[in-house]
Amino acid sequence: MNIFADSAGPLLEALGTTVMMAVIAGVAAIVLGTVVTAARISPIPVLRGLAFAYVQFFVNVPLLVLLILAVFALPDAGLLLPLTPTAIIVLALYEAAYVAEAIRSGVNTVGTGQIEASRALGFTLVQSLRLVVVPQALRAAVQPIGNVMIALTMNTALAAAVGVVELTSEANKLNLVEAQPILIFTVAGLIYMALALVIGLAAGRIEKRVAIKR
Amino acid sequence: MPSTRKTLQRGIPLLAITVTAALAFSGCSSDSSAVPGAAPSSSASTDALASVYDNAVVADAAALLPDSTMAKIKARGKLVVAEALDAPLLSQQNPSSPDDVEGFDADLAKLLAIYILGEPNVEIIPPASETREALLQNGTVDVVFNTYTITTQRDEQVDFAGPYLQSGLAVAVKSDNTDIQGIDDLGGKKVIVGANTPAVTAVPEKQPTAEIVSFGTDPEAVQALTQGRGDAYVQDFTLLASDAASNSAIKVVGQPFTTESYGIGLKDGDAAFKSFINDWLTKIEANGDWAKVWDATLGSAVESSTPTPPAIGSVPGS
Repeated sequence: MNIFADSAGPLLEALGTTVMMAVIAGVAAIVLGTVVTAARISPIPVLRGLAFAYVQFFVNVPLLVLLILAVFALPDAGLLLPLTPTAIIVLALYEAAYVAEAIRSGVNTVGTGQIEASRALGFTLVQSLRLVVVPQALRAAVQPIGNVMIALTMNTALAAAVGVVELTSEANKLNLVEAQPILIFTVAGLIYMALALVIGLAAGRIEKRVAIKR
Repeated sequence: MPSTRKTLQRGIPLLAITVTAALAFSGCSSDSSAVPGAAPSSSASTDALASVYDNAVVADAAALLPDSTMAKIKARGKLVVAEALDAPLLSQQNPSSPDDVEGFDADLAKLLAIYILGEPNVEIIPPASETREALLQNGTVDVVFNTYTITTQRDEQVDFAGPYLQSGLAVAVKSDNTDIQGIDDLGGKKVIVGANTPAVTAVPEKQPTAEIVSFGTDPEAVQALTQGRGDAYVQDFTLLASDAASNSAIKVVGQPFTTESYGIGLKDGDAAFKSFINDWLTKIEANGDWAKVWDATLGSAVESSTPTPPAIGSVPGS
């Protein structure tokens, strides 16, 4: 296992980039996805339409296409951002659409009676979303959101294709010298698996704690 | 309002596609070598090489030892080669006839197929360059023709026939750049490299303070250079020369600063196949076919006379 000991420094740094991308994009995707869902279920047609269009756009265009467009087409339109932030923004926008769908499934678990009751009590739209609907929807959607977060973590690997030095790209670099693809990519795969397990277990824990027993 | 919803549901994916397509086209139109993989014209090589193919050497039946790899290839009727589809002048799919793959590596692979089979019957497996060793080890391909630099570490995993070509890494910059004259000026600069090329390790060796940005394909790297994602692009001299020939926005500065010896990758431990291929290389170098292929491909982009092929077995690992 000499080859991993010799390059532990760069590998850890690259793993750090992967984790950082997953965490920042993950938090941003959850926040943005919640907002999109709120718009999606609001009584305002324009908001609903925009939220629907957003989700459809990002669910129907492959992430790699979005990354390549953001990295190579936006500069031609006069917008040149550094690579890692570009990739994080694209990841967050993309996964937010999936988060929004997960939360929307949670919204469906909130009883219509409760929403009608909150309206009867004179809650404004924002109040009834903030106090009644969203908290319950989020609690019901913990596991699906966890799955989206796992997918997001795996998807950070695509950033290697547009020049971000994360785990996959560092594994490529190591393999270029050592010429042992099966060993190196197996280890990289196991690291991704460990990350996914951590997220999955955490989601399970959180769900146990917050689940609404019905 | 269910009807509005229905209309939206039908309309939005269409809108999404239109927007994406529009973006993609606007990205392409500004530059001839846009992402991904636009092609400089290179279909002239087929005609120039027609006579080479017609008169190519074919191995004596006695050279195809019983039970050897070459005998198996002969029995199968085709040579399975790992080679790129997007490397201009080396191995590139012809955009107007996709069955044709042309370039120095591709044409040599066809000549090798003729040597074994009597006809240029090649099946191409495009290698992600990170999987070349695996493709050889598990027997997916017979040979790798992929500007595969011979190194001693790689030699532990696979065998190399050759070297069949010598080149080196050089530096390209935007045409209007005047402060970078070569590798010595890259300290502290942002340097673009191809993700799986020797430049990934060679640039930090020469310029430890340079910041490396790597892209998967050569067209992407060229696009990144012209868009200002880096100050320079380090890549094999021949590839850069062909990029610069087809794209006036970039130029090659200075001379190659490394020596890369390219070999034909073979499964580890197949000594008979290796010496068979080395025999073939010796023959095509002696009869001038090697030089004709070079002239028709790489030679068309480089302003120097036809080089002498490197001596076979001259590099550690070969």
